[in-house]
Amino acid sequence: MDNIEIESIWKKVDSKISPKSTEELQELLALKIKKTVSKFYYTLCIDITVCIGLIIFLIITALNRPDDNIYQVNNSILCLITILSLSISLSSLIKLQNNKYNLSLSDWLGVRIKLLSSWLLGKYSKLYIVLIPILLIMINLSIHVYYEHKPFVEVLKNEESVYGLIVGFIIGLFVSYFAINKIRKYQINNLEFLKELNSALYNVR
Amino acid sequence: MESLKDEFLDILSNYQGILHKVSLIYFRNQADREDNFQEITYQLWKSYPSLQNKDSIGSWIYAVSINTSISKLKKNSKIEYRDNLPDLADSIDTIEKISETENIQILLQAIYNLSVINKTLMLLYLEEKSYDEIAEILGMTKSNVGTRINRAKEILKQNLKHLNHG
Repeated sequence: MDNIEIESIWKKVDSKISPKSTEELQELLALKIKKTVSKFYYTLCIDITVCIGLIIFLIITALNRPDDNIYQVNNSILCLITILSLSISLSSLIKLQNNKYNLSLSDWLGVRIKLLSSWLLGKYSKLYIVLIPILLIMINLSIHVYYEHKPFVEVLKNEESVYGLIVGFIIGLFVSYFAINKIRKYQINNLEFLKELNSALYNVR
Repeated sequence: MESLKDEFLDILSNYQGILHKVSLIYFRNQADREDNFQEITYQLWKSYPSLQNKDSIGSWIYAVSINTSISKLKKNSKIEYRDNLPDLADSIDTIEKISETENIQILLQAIYNLSVINKTLMLLYLEEKSYDEIAEILGMTKSNVGTRINRAKEILKQNLKHLNHG
């Protein structure tokens, strides 16, 4: 098959396409906007609700333990980390939502690669390895100490409580790492694919 | 806002062929194509207010359509990054539904077997876009576009030859 033949076959593709009416397009667009906006707000709501719920819990429990200084410090640090996480996750969500496709392919690939690289391979990308165990210990302690109705130090001296905390910590750690690794693996594959495309744009193979 | 929307829908209505053809070359399955068409429509609407040069609407639509489709390809994990031929049987059912003409089926099959970049280049070439426009849409140099298109055409012809003899 020569070029002219290929081009003439391609021209026939137009006749096989059934165009949508303006009303159909309008309906399709309205439906997509509704779906995307709902998904965005749904994610946003879950994110905010979980974080605010945790902050309220930490504040109330800390207020109920005015004499336990270590418990208050533990909850205050957790509160700060939660607020920080909430603001980072909100800004990431908004960045994702504002992803623009009206760039040339190479520019668009560049923007996506930069964004994903900073999330996955950036300076703070491995911080979760340290942060998650610390957070898990602190959250476990905050909940456990509160419902034991004993001071912080006393709970830590109790052998049974410590075993319980260790088991809770190991399970929590396993679940968290498993979930994060799954997400990271998916995103790293995405990043590799984009990098591959970017280099394929410039390399004649 | 309403007039902007009407203006956008008018443009979309006139240029929807691009969306259909972009979806056609990247997705073998009709449901995926429909889904992609909807996603492109939404992305075009999102970036429409920032469209500066209304003289190059075609290029803008191609750029958004190609970028959106590529991002969706990965999400759907249905990307086949290869220039070698797979078994014809894995896609023939859906192709039959798209086209009644055997030649179109064979051409589409040959395009499906191209790598993503070659597929994109062939689409723009077959749509009779100039090298300047292709360079603008893909962000490549004009000379690179020429070289890449020639290479893509060779691979496409090899694929077609393979299919015709297969």
